[in-house]
Amino acid sequence: MNQILVIAWREVTRLRKRFGGGASPLAVIALLVILGLSAYYLRSTVSLGSGLYRIGVFGDVPAISDSRFSVMDVDVEQGQALLEQKSIDVFINGSQVFAREDDKSQFAVRALKQYMEKQELIRVGNSFAGADAFPLRVAINYFGEDQAAEQAEAGAPLSVAKPEEVIIPSLTPPPAPFTQVLVALLYIMPITFISIFFTSSFMDEKMNRRLTILLSAPVTPFQIIFGKMLPYAIFALASTALIAGLTKTNILLALAIFAPTTLFIFAIYLMVPLFYRTFKDTTFIAMLVTTLTTAYLVFPAMFTNVNDLAYISPLALAVKMYRNEPFGWREYLFPSLPMAAIFGLAMFAGTRLLNEEFLMGYKPLTRKLSDAIYLMMAHSKPYIAVPLWSLITIPAVYMTQIVFLAFATNLPVGLILGFTLFASALVEEVVKTVGIVALAEHGVIKAWREIIGLSFLSALGFLIGEKLLLLVSISVVSQAQVSGALFGAGLLLFIPLIAHFVFSTIITVLRTKLRFPYWLALGIGTVVHFIYNVYVLRGGM
Amino acid sequence: MTPFFAVVKRELASVIRDRTIVISILIQLFIASFSSALLLGMLSLYDSDTIMNFGGAGIKIGMVNSSDNTLALLMSERGITVIQYPTLSEAQFAFFSNQVSAVVDTPTDENGVTQIKLYLPELDAISSLIRMVIQEPLKQYENYLRGQKGIEVRYTDLKGKPSTSYEFVYSVLIPMLMFFPAFVSGSMSVDSLTEEVENKTLQTLLSTPLSINGMIGAKILASVILSFAQCAAWLALLQMNGIAIQNTGWILLLAIIIAGITSTSAALGAVLLQDRERSQFIYSLLLLTGAGISTLLNTSPITALSRLAIGDAYTNGWNVAVFAVFLSVLYFLLTKMSRRLLA
Repeated sequence: MNQILVIAWREVTRLRKRFGGGASPLAVIALLVILGLSAYYLRSTVSLGSGLYRIGVFGDVPAISDSRFSVMDVDVEQGQALLEQKSIDVFINGSQVFAREDDKSQFAVRALKQYMEKQELIRVGNSFAGADAFPLRVAINYFGEDQAAEQAEAGAPLSVAKPEEVIIPSLTPPPAPFTQVLVALLYIMPITFISIFFTSSFMDEKMNRRLTILLSAPVTPFQIIFGKMLPYAIFALASTALIAGLTKTNILLALAIFAPTTLFIFAIYLMVPLFYRTFKDTTFIAMLVTTLTTAYLVFPAMFTNVNDLAYISPLALAVKMYRNEPFGWREYLFPSLPMAAIFGLAMFAGTRLLNEEFLMGYKPLTRKLSDAIYLMMAHSKPYIAVPLWSLITIPAVYMTQIVFLAFATNLPVGLILGFTLFASALVEEVVKTVGIVALAEHGVIKAWREIIGLSFLSALGFLIGEKLLLLVSISVVSQAQVSGALFGAGLLLFIPLIAHFVFSTIITVLRTKLRFPYWLALGIGTVVHFIYNVYVLRGGM
Repeated sequence: MTPFFAVVKRELASVIRDRTIVISILIQLFIASFSSALLLGMLSLYDSDTIMNFGGAGIKIGMVNSSDNTLALLMSERGITVIQYPTLSEAQFAFFSNQVSAVVDTPTDENGVTQIKLYLPELDAISSLIRMVIQEPLKQYENYLRGQKGIEVRYTDLKGKPSTSYEFVYSVLIPMLMFFPAFVSGSMSVDSLTEEVENKTLQTLLSTPLSINGMIGAKILASVILSFAQCAAWLALLQMNGIAIQNTGWILLLAIIIAGITSTSAALGAVLLQDRERSQFIYSLLLLTGAGISTLLNTSPITALSRLAIGDAYTNGWNVAVFAVFLSVLYFLLTKMSRRLLA
């Protein structure tokens, strides 16, 4: 523990030195200016289509101040002429609106309609008494599902499930989680920024070869990684608390929601310094990582309250928090456990990969990945390492499959299921076989017996992990039958085990014994797996 | 000039050899497809027009009979199937036997305010869908009630066509695809300059017949070329997908100039700070500030690009020239400061 603190303190000193002196006032001022400006910038571009429409105005028209419209004053003839020439899209003469028949003009009319509706409401609301300006109230009640049906048949009075909610239609937009998702996204940005510094700290040490010296000191790789991560993690959590405080919500709850997310983001950024070869690599890998994590976190949260699958993202919990809606332990653990597990996996990988030979080598990325997997397994016996690998990579598999599922919902309906099944078969096969192939390529295993035996163990480890996860997820995602299909909800364990074993064996044998390229072997195994999945879904078993 | 082009060639070759540029292209593809799927998918999910187009008639609303049929009429006009029931309990029975998805009770008058009771299913997904679909008729009904009280609301008869995807394509998708490569090329310039400094290869490079300005210029040119290739490919792909884009020449020129601006300012940062960690940080801050300031000054390249792409009558080469002037100022500044890299 002491050593971790020493390393953590050294990290703080390093950062202070680097950003002390010349750059620090510059950075601070720049940062402040930026925060102000970007807030302003974001506010004015919240609506899409900034500057797309040109509008000519004559007579008594409410002021149009919306970034989508460029407004110019014209007289009647000029306005009509400009509209004809397609120089403007819409001409407003008092309360009359003129447009052309073409698409561009019609789009402008719709955009204008949305804007004017709001302006007129403000005008009406300001100039008339409340009951006259807003003469309609809609009281929303919900029919309960179960006992209500029986009561209705018995002719009993109405039973409602939730307390009545009264709205004014023109002032109450239908529920959409966008704004809360955006607020929740605010938490992610500082965490990403901070983890980029964590990454560059590692790179800096690697460049200066100080990491080599550190590695020869009596500290473990775990202590090095953890110590270097500690100040940044504290910083990230502090920023989370700060945002929670500023947006006036429960700080402890926000910390509980975002702590696993912080760990997850750090885990992924830990991989960047381990794998990069040149500076450009870092930029590209970091970009990829940022894009994917943001998409993974934001996309599901958009569906909060629409679909239970939204809970795979902790942002969905944050959205709930901002709406003052309660959620239970299961909803909390559903996104948090896989993230924490991935953090564990990344820490494990980090401790194994933190050696000079791996860090400094320049090799193709695929080669480096295969080396990494080999290094993670080499310290224990293959028959323990292989099934363990299959078991602990399950959260990553699970997260990838869910991302595929989210993507697939955008495909034409006929393709959704096929695409998801194929993609998830591919991911599962990669995870199950990649360890065995890496071991074989480093000459650790050679015999048929070993390859087939390890394929079996890998399938077994995978299946155990899968069923454990299924137990957790089924209880939360009640609606998502597709997820059940993905994880093979069949209660018979024996047939899936054999099936998984057969697919892995096909791939490993094709690769190691028949010298097929890995992608080809993988493709063949995946196709067989896919056919099996389709067969199971059709109700064949 | 030959050493200059040798550096350009080396830069491009190293990018192609590392294959990491593929990641960048994948990211762009990912963001493009993802954001359009996200935005259009979500907006259609939350856009009552789209819902009505795809399954409006399938939405059945039970309505308890009343003397005033305006609301029922407005809903039918919108395309919703309205079924009338004499009493609330009959309507409720219809709800539980799945004949209607929601029930609207008779409007009542309370001190001049009209009250309507709406009964929705408990399931969130369906009830929010129904609320979205009946929002428009409810608003029209509200306007009708206002009219009864002598309050006239203007501009209620506007129709138009749903503009979301048009706005998305021209103000988000095209600018994103044109400027993301520029953003990447700035990052690349930082990487490539600071790598020479931190690996201590700069001195060796300068012992060749190549000035420091030539070396920096070559690196900037290499990243601008990469950016140009990506932009041209995206433009061709977009047009193959049937998206009409006007002024392609100006658009490409603008994209190149912006790539030049980001690379030059990134190089400026790298020259001043000389290490990757701080330079990249300052560069991303500069990008944000630049975007903010250009919006403030009403010369945002994003708006200029969207307007060029839709063929706006008041946007032309002069709007591009503004950025070219800015680029030359920046580049001049860079040539004056570049010697600090040797110190």
